[in-house]
Amino acid sequence: MFEQSIILSAIRDAIDWVLGLVGQDISILPLPVQVVLCGLIAAGGLMGAIAFAVLIYVWMERRIAGRMQARRGPNRVGPYGLLQTVADTFKLLRKEDIIPTGANRILFAFAPMLVLAGVVAAFAAIPISWDADKGEPIMIADIDLGIFLITAIVATEVIGVIMAGWASNNKWSLYGAMREAAQVVSYEIPLGLSLLVPVLIVGDLSLGAATEDQLGGNWLIWRNPFMWAVFFIFYVAGLANCKRAPFDLPEAESELVAGFHTEYSGLRFSFFFMEEYASMTLISAIGAIYFFGAGDLFGLQGSSSLIMFGVLLFKILVSIFVMMWIRWTLPRLRIDQVMTLGYKVLTPIAFFLLLGVTVWDLYDLNDKLWELFSRS
Amino acid sequence: MTAAHIAFAAFALITVVSAFVVASHRSIVHSAFGLFFTFFGVAGLYLTLGADFVMAAQILIYVGGIMVLLLFGVMLTPSRRSDFVPARFLRALTLGAIVLVGLLWVLKNAHWATQELASPESTIDEIGRQLLTREQYLLPFEVVSVLLLAALIGAAYLARRRKIVD
Amino acid sequence: MLNPAMPLPDDPLDRDILIGAGDISTDEMYINMGPQHPSTHGVLRVLLRTDGEIVTEAHPHIGYLHRCAEKIGECLDYIKFQPYTDRMDYLAAMNNNLGYAMTVEKLAGLEIPERAQLLRVIIVELNRIASHLIAFGTYGLDAGALTPFFHAWREREEMLTLFEKICGARLTYNYVCIGGVVNDMPEGWEDMVLDFLDRFEKRWKEYNDLLTYNRIFIRRTADIGVITREDCVAYALTGPMMRGSGIDWDLRRDRPYMMYDRFEYDIPIGEGKMGTVGDCWDRYWVRMVEMKESGKIVRQAFDMLKGAEGTHKAKVPKVFKPKKGECYVGIENPRGELGFYIVSDGSKNAYRMRVRGPSFCNLSILEKLLPGAMIADAVMIIGSTDIVLGEVDR
Repeated sequence: MFEQSIILSAIRDAIDWVLGLVGQDISILPLPVQVVLCGLIAAGGLMGAIAFAVLIYVWMERRIAGRMQARRGPNRVGPYGLLQTVADTFKLLRKEDIIPTGANRILFAFAPMLVLAGVVAAFAAIPISWDADKGEPIMIADIDLGIFLITAIVATEVIGVIMAGWASNNKWSLYGAMREAAQVVSYEIPLGLSLLVPVLIVGDLSLGAATEDQLGGNWLIWRNPFMWAVFFIFYVAGLANCKRAPFDLPEAESELVAGFHTEYSGLRFSFFFMEEYASMTLISAIGAIYFFGAGDLFGLQGSSSLIMFGVLLFKILVSIFVMMWIRWTLPRLRIDQVMTLGYKVLTPIAFFLLLGVTVWDLYDLNDKLWELFSRS
Repeated sequence: MTAAHIAFAAFALITVVSAFVVASHRSIVHSAFGLFFTFFGVAGLYLTLGADFVMAAQILIYVGGIMVLLLFGVMLTPSRRSDFVPARFLRALTLGAIVLVGLLWVLKNAHWATQELASPESTIDEIGRQLLTREQYLLPFEVVSVLLLAALIGAAYLARRRKIVD
Repeated sequence: MLNPAMPLPDDPLDRDILIGAGDISTDEMYINMGPQHPSTHGVLRVLLRTDGEIVTEAHPHIGYLHRCAEKIGECLDYIKFQPYTDRMDYLAAMNNNLGYAMTVEKLAGLEIPERAQLLRVIIVELNRIASHLIAFGTYGLDAGALTPFFHAWREREEMLTLFEKICGARLTYNYVCIGGVVNDMPEGWEDMVLDFLDRFEKRWKEYNDLLTYNRIFIRRTADIGVITREDCVAYALTGPMMRGSGIDWDLRRDRPYMMYDRFEYDIPIGEGKMGTVGDCWDRYWVRMVEMKESGKIVRQAFDMLKGAEGTHKAKVPKVFKPKKGECYVGIENPRGELGFYIVSDGSKNAYRMRVRGPSFCNLSILEKLLPGAMIADAVMIIGSTDIVLGEVDR
């Protein structure tokens, strides 16, 4: 398994180096231990990276919200208020851990972890950059299933939310859970269909292959005239899937108090919070990789994988900014409007686009049009 | 003992323990959540068999779809805790023991064809080719999809809200 | 019931409703909206019976903020009760002051100087804007849009500073008093107000771009919570709640008090621009337009103030004893007809005091409007009644 991914083999080399300090090498560890150890380190690193990113996102969100709402946002703790979220994290950590009477203690405690785990696990299949020397994407696990596995793993998050809503023994929480179940399961259809289009064009489920395919400015978004519409559907369905406004019905604070996490506080609450931002990042990353060339900047980035990582990060941040912009601008939809939009608008359009792209690709219309154009 | 053995043992343990919870827990919602872990364990078992596509499909369909539906159904039914009835328990125990003995007998006497597996390759290419080429399984695949569509429409027809006519 | 651990409600009334309902099917449940719910605008509690997302029954419960305001009015001197009126409809405290002051003045037969009347008109109309700003902002919150709220608050903040300049308080002003107003406006205040109104009118257009004409907002409010003209009369609705249903009735014009008959302004009524006449959007729009019209009145009042006679306050005796009798005065509060009914037995304090609160009366239609709506609509309907619980419970 080590030859499959650059990150895991790097971790293995690092362990080897550390053991070298005490005059040993990695072969003293049995293979299963090596596997589990590398996996744990990778998972820990991923978790840490997401937690750090969430700190930045929350700060971003507050500053952006402040700007849009004619106020300042955090600006006292640290430069530009950057340490405000760190301080808030400590506040959340120190808070009393409250489990309401009548709540189901086991499920109540387990739900936040399940919710976060699903989304974090999906990041294993996201390539963060491209190694030009080896001609391989840099990612934790370059699995052939790629996007299929991601959509599958992320689906477990719904179960976590239902669990949280039910275990809280609060009717508002239960409403939140039901809405989540209805909404997320419905929007998986347009989301999956819109993801099918780039998969079809690349011809591979792995996101690493998509990264490779788009090097040198050959972004999927330029490949045919349907792609912008496909991206729009993907983005809307993605917003609905990570429960961001205007689709934040499961936690609609004006209707359901706080929806499925009404009864949560402290660290457990922060898990839900992290999940929201993590899934925003996931959707943004998939969007950047599948539509906007991943780490590619028209080939200008050269062969440095670090710059490519930076470019990808920049694209993700732009997408997250747009999500925040939408959140602080639009009112919330009603649940039946959300369902109508999903089933009667997005899904048929996604089907139509899928058909269109297929036909376009089948008859190679890009080349034919180009010929026609250059002849005249 | 290899990594595959350990993985198999771990997934098998998850599957069996959670399946036991599903069967034995008094609260139906707990059983449903137990089933969630059973599905996960089974998905892991598929992985150890090298069937990665089936693994992902198992998670996507069972965990993401069927589990959610199941939980919906379970949460909306009045959840009475089932009482412990000794006679019923005895009956179940007898039946269970008979089935167990039968299974053990089959396990012991079956002729198990074994083959050394090559290191698991990705199956998805092959599955795609088999399902979508005319020489292979395209027709059955399409027939099944039409059947599912018919079932879907039928279910929607049966479940829709009718106006009460006296 | 869904969860075996969910207990029966403690409140005997709730239990009556629960048990009295008899046939509780499993897919219906009772749910308490409030008193600590974020969008019941205070401590209103609505007991909802829901079938999935759809409300089948609604029972508003009030009284969590009851402070015996009317009884206090019977125990205190007429002048001493004035500050208590601030605490009823705290978002439109000036209007409440005015309603009470006018009732007592009518009882005592006091003549109010022209200048005092104009100052009252100015401050009351400004307070109407401030109050409707809250209605607009919180309605955005109810719909899930947080930004309009902050924008509304930015303008309200400026207004509160103006109020602070003239009377020293930012919420409970006690500015309009029996006989006139407490003090004349400070120097330069007029320019500050006019300056603010210029800015406000520009921002009013921004509000409409941001929220009023937003497609999602229209979808959430049009055709929701429709009140017919008949229901308006039957439930004694007043103010924007009634005008939203197309009934052209405004006490300022139709039963003129103070100097309202001398101003030029329009009274907006619901026209069903985005849906049906009398839906949530219409009520919202009536409030929006009223803000603009109030600005017009304030400008005219400042013009008139230049040639106005008299001082800011009539002479009121220290020991204030109106003669025996009773009287009722209703004024157009931002929420509707605010009426004070006072019976005097000739002593220092009122023999009987009764308040006709617009929020209280407007609230009564919730029981009819909510059934059939979805929970999200219920929030929008409650928001569109624009109640202030301080005045409902008094």
